[in-house]
Amino acid sequence: MSLGLRGILNKHNAILSGTSACPGCPENMAMRMLGMGLGKDVVLVVVAGCSSIIQGNAPYNAYNFPTVNVAFAAGPATASGLARAYKQRGKNVTVVVWAGDGGTADIGFASLSGAAERNENILYLCVDNEAYMNSGGQRSGSTPFGAITSTTPEGKKENKKNLPFLMIAHNVPYVATASVGYPHDYIEKLKRAKQIDGFKYLHVLTPDPYGWLFDPSKTVEVAKLAVQTCYWPLFEYINGKLEISSESLHCLDKRTRRPIRDFLSIQGRFKKLSEEQIKVLEQYVDSMWEKLKSML
Amino acid sequence: MMRKIISGNEAVALGVKLARVGVTGIYPITPQTTIIEKLAEMKAKGEIDTEIVRVESEHSAMAATFGAALAGVRAFTATASQGLLYMHEMIWWVAGSRVPVVMVVGTRAVGAPWNIWNEHTDFTSERDSGWIMAFASNPQEALDLTIQAFRISEDERVFLPMMIGMDGFILSHTKTNVLIPDQDQIDGFLPPRRQPYVIDPEDPLGMGNVFPPEGYMRLRESIDSSLRNSEDVIREIGREYSKKINPLGDYSTLNVSYKLDDADYAVVAMGAWAGDAMEAIDVLREKGIRIGLLRIRYLRPWSEKEIREALKDKKGVLVLDRSTSFGRYGGPLYVEIKSTVSDIIPSIKGVVSGLGGVTVTKNDLVYLFNKFVEGMREDVIWYYPKEVGKVELRTPRDIE
Ligand code: SF4
Repeated sequence: MSLGLRGILNKHNAILSGTSACPGCPENMAMRMLGMGLGKDVVLVVVAGCSSIIQGNAPYNAYNFPTVNVAFAAGPATASGLARAYKQRGKNVTVVVWAGDGGTADIGFASLSGAAERNENILYLCVDNEAYMNSGGQRSGSTPFGAITSTTPEGKKENKKNLPFLMIAHNVPYVATASVGYPHDYIEKLKRAKQIDGFKYLHVLTPDPYGWLFDPSKTVEVAKLAVQTCYWPLFEYINGKLEISSESLHCLDKRTRRPIRDFLSIQGRFKKLSEEQIKVLEQYVDSMWEKLKSML
Repeated sequence: MMRKIISGNEAVALGVKLARVGVTGIYPITPQTTIIEKLAEMKAKGEIDTEIVRVESEHSAMAATFGAALAGVRAFTATASQGLLYMHEMIWWVAGSRVPVVMVVGTRAVGAPWNIWNEHTDFTSERDSGWIMAFASNPQEALDLTIQAFRISEDERVFLPMMIGMDGFILSHTKTNVLIPDQDQIDGFLPPRRQPYVIDPEDPLGMGNVFPPEGYMRLRESIDSSLRNSEDVIREIGREYSKKINPLGDYSTLNVSYKLDDADYAVVAMGAWAGDAMEAIDVLREKGIRIGLLRIRYLRPWSEKEIREALKDKKGVLVLDRSTSFGRYGGPLYVEIKSTVSDIIPSIKGVVSGLGGVTVTKNDLVYLFNKFVEGMREDVIWYYPKEVGKVELRTPRDIE
């Protein structure tokens, strides 16, 4: 397959061989692309989650960046301290917080909101696999309606917390979404974020074969379907201006959206959904796009 | 060098300024608030070149301070009570990372119910976190210990964070005459920052990722041995500080004795009420009772050797606790002292008092010391200075 990625791949290898990721892991992919987008002079702050396991056991470290692991709720504040110290020392460093959806939507949200409000010069990256996958697939605030998780065996009763919208409400210079199904788009966004001074938020959808219950060979396909069915919007919000990314432009018109069933039926976690429940998810998607359109 | 009448909190802020701290994570909580207000004021006036991160919680205050320290600058924060408990997780994370950080705790009661006044339980409950823990007994000592803390925690034989306790309101807000060193003196005393490793982009170093069991256990052991070895480092640095910076303060020992050499009885206490204890001891001495005081200045490391030496040959020891350890007979200091000298001291008694701002005066201490010398019968008492009405606790209501 030629995605034209080989050239950039050699730029900075963010991941070394021998990670502890499961086969088909989307976070592993997202991390590899991080290196392609940001290059060198990066420091990572990783909060508890799959990513702290993928990194491997000390004394080894599969991430080819200096990496600080911290307690769940401490990522954005630790990054703030690092960034301020580099500023004091006159060093130009891109400090990246790498957190899952649990760390972002739930336990770490106060710290994230605080760092955003202070407009700290950091890049916050949420890799969203829509549950606490590292501790066994429990629901998080970012789990979608209807999804079966190990703590919602009957299907989640509430909608997904819309983090990118919440971050837009913080009035930070940069908010964007991406999907591991579209590496070029994601890498471009990383590059753009790196150029911006102040707080940057990038939310990447990372479909997890083990929690979402699909075959590990299909990670990219599911990640693409999420975008094609408009369940996951791709956009960029730069200095108050919203722009829908080209992969998602067809979602602006409801008639050109691919049916959400195509995204739901490829995964096991939605297998108990009734017709009515599918409608709830459709409504969620519709209202999200109405909101996005109103911001254009 | 100059003298100025300032509060304990102002003294700490001046210590932070003199230590040329690079980043402070600040969040308000009574009674330490005026420390961070003072730092913010200094920053606004351009008197300090410190990055101030005005975070949204104490958990984040400790995290920001931790991040800054990892990136290679001197880092400071302050807290109290609920705030200290809220940062508890990060306090352990910092110690486990072996990164030098300094914090001041304006000690205060812990709820429920709300109580903003002084006691030491917030401080003592961090005893097992792996931090060096000193406790000041006046604003001068708060300043001196803050400065020494940077030197101690950044010593390569130590490389551990250090916290300094200071009685809320009693020291934090009371103004006394304080000797303030010159910047030159402190620049000569504090070498450039040193730490075991720095997170820099040039070096892809992983910090804090999963450790295999034996490696983890070895790290815990290394924290224990560094903490114990820090005793000598503290004495060495204290001697130098007394010689070069404050000749009126004796920092050559971890703990401080008063009229103890020839005493038959000893009182052990920590913090500001040690001053009242000294006055009470003078009163008893006038009556011919030979009693002295051992003031605990370092809860960790606990200098077993120094404490045994100071208390040996005493007929009895009375331990004053301004903190609690529930379900255990006696407060934390009582338990520590008992485990240190029970084989050489015939009688060890304890008093728990001064909790939640309860005022214990010199006269109360005279009464207690007298009672102790006369041979108080209970091993540990909860002492209420004034007549306190009986508190009726209601029995749980049955729910029908
Ligand atoms: S559980 Fe999912 S996100 Fe976690 S390592 Fe495995 S594939 Fe990756």
